[in-house]
Amino acid sequence: MTVVYSIEAPYRGRYELHRLTFGSGSPRVAIVAGLHGNELNGMHAVNMLAAALRAQRPRGTVHLFPLVNTFGADEARKRWPFDDRDINKAFPGDPDGTAVQRIASALLDATDADVCVDVHSGAPHVRELPQVRVPLSGRELELGRAMGLPLVWRREGARLQASGLIGAWRDAGRQALHVVGGRGITLDTGHSATIARGLKRLLGHLGLVRHVDPNETVADVTRVEVGVHRAATGGFFVPEVRVGALVKPGHLLGYLQMPIGGDRIGELRARRGGVVVTVRAWPMVYAQELLVRVAGTDST
Amino acid sequence: MAETRRVIEIELPSGDVAPVVCRRFGSGPFRVVIAAGIRGDAPEGIRVAHRVSSFLEAEEGRLNGTVDIYPCANPLAAHRGTRTWPFFDTDLNRLFPGRSDGHPPAQVARALCDDISGAQQVIELRGARPAFSEASQAIVRHDHAESAELASHANVAVVWRRTPGPAAPATFAHQFPGSIVLEGGTGNRLTPGVGNDLADGVLNLLVHLKVLPESGLPFHWAAIRRPVHVTDAEVHRVRAERGGLFLPASTIWSEVEAGECLGEIVDPLTGLTREEVRSPMAGNILAIRELPVVFPGTMVARVVTA
Repeated sequence: MTVVYSIEAPYRGRYELHRLTFGSGSPRVAIVAGLHGNELNGMHAVNMLAAALRAQRPRGTVHLFPLVNTFGADEARKRWPFDDRDINKAFPGDPDGTAVQRIASALLDATDADVCVDVHSGAPHVRELPQVRVPLSGRELELGRAMGLPLVWRREGARLQASGLIGAWRDAGRQALHVVGGRGITLDTGHSATIARGLKRLLGHLGLVRHVDPNETVADVTRVEVGVHRAATGGFFVPEVRVGALVKPGHLLGYLQMPIGGDRIGELRARRGGVVVTVRAWPMVYAQELLVRVAGTDST
Repeated sequence: MAETRRVIEIELPSGDVAPVVCRRFGSGPFRVVIAAGIRGDAPEGIRVAHRVSSFLEAEEGRLNGTVDIYPCANPLAAHRGTRTWPFFDTDLNRLFPGRSDGHPPAQVARALCDDISGAQQVIELRGARPAFSEASQAIVRHDHAESAELASHANVAVVWRRTPGPAAPATFAHQFPGSIVLEGGTGNRLTPGVGNDLADGVLNLLVHLKVLPESGLPFHWAAIRRPVHVTDAEVHRVRAERGGLFLPASTIWSEVEAGECLGEIVDPLTGLTREEVRSPMAGNILAIRELPVVFPGTMVARVVTA
């Protein structure tokens, strides 16, 4: 384990950016987790991958950054606690700037690799099926599909700002993959293990390791193939499905009820068949908030 | 009597509603918009909006145009005194122009843009950044000479012709190119004097926009400050080199010489000095850090040279 960057911190030990490196030479892969201190499924997945790489030295270089925002994780906070800044909006960073800008700059320098992966959990109020978000075409789509995660979500590149790590990697000419799975604040061990298998498949596809796990992809979709269900009104949402469930049109996804008294306000039924990829976890919802996403599968 | 209407109501899951309101004074096609409280940790702006409202309430019959005042765009954040919209933990001032089919903060941003669209002049009222005390200042876009000239009458110490940064396109002010942003005081606090100065500045701007007759001012025009005009090149950030507690030795808008000590950074556990922070050039202190905890790289002061 190497400390690639360190900065003095008042009242506590220094902030340190840790990197685990396995193997040497090309190809080079960098995998980052924990940019957001309350999204730790990625950290768990990366640590699982580290255990696998200790048993099987890769034919190439793998850099792992299990937890970037250690200070945020200490407080279960997404952002850097001191000035409440999002590290993932500070790229490309500035070596002479604020602490967050310096960390962003150091991380970008330390992830000089051919292929880079940034692993997140869903937001604290939603649970996401493990997925890779990739552009509509090109090498990153090929790499994303090679991960074999349950969902491959092809999205317009414009969604990714240059101030984020994915955008900064792309600006630097690196292949960048955005992985999301589970829910913030909590640890989803099953989803973490799924992500770890996906990362290992990626390394296998690149020839760094041998892999045996079969592909787990259920849906490979663009935006138009994802049914988004939002709350018609505010209220208390009770889900009737979990992520990964296969549903047919008309399937009951959940219902809204009055928070006090429990009178049912409305039902949510699937408009299309497919796999449930997102489910609201925090039940108090505002009108128009996302409740459930259903992605079309080959069989639907 | 001013018309008060609800621009948008956000229905809360528990059954309550949070309204964003607009108070309209006067009438006529020439419309000035005054918006405050886009972040919940800037009560100074809200106070100024209410002071201006109170004045216009009494003078409404003399107005030559319409003045729309949005005293608090982010009521739930103001309720808590936080920068971001609660629950979503989202900075409303990074969501413009918003989306009508998005989450509540995005809906509010969209509703404000739609409601304000067509106004001839937009004035945004803020407070200081949360960790700082700041001199009163007007911020305008660097390439908008007309608004810089108008801002000269805003009763501030500085008119800063600022080049938009990477985050600017998603801010409220950026949606309206000639907008003037007024700020000053201390973060998340009301500062004696500052609110009155900024309120007087807003009224003076209304005079120069010919919406309010000069005879209606509650002060003589000669009392208005003559600001220094600066660009980004004349505004220097002074950063901490060491982590610790920054103890300021200077006050807002005081003159400093090159090399003069602005404050010291001490070890938080022993109190021993780790660094003396010195001004890199002669000028006036535009902002000084009040919240003492700093990392290496944290800005502790802004100095303007002019």
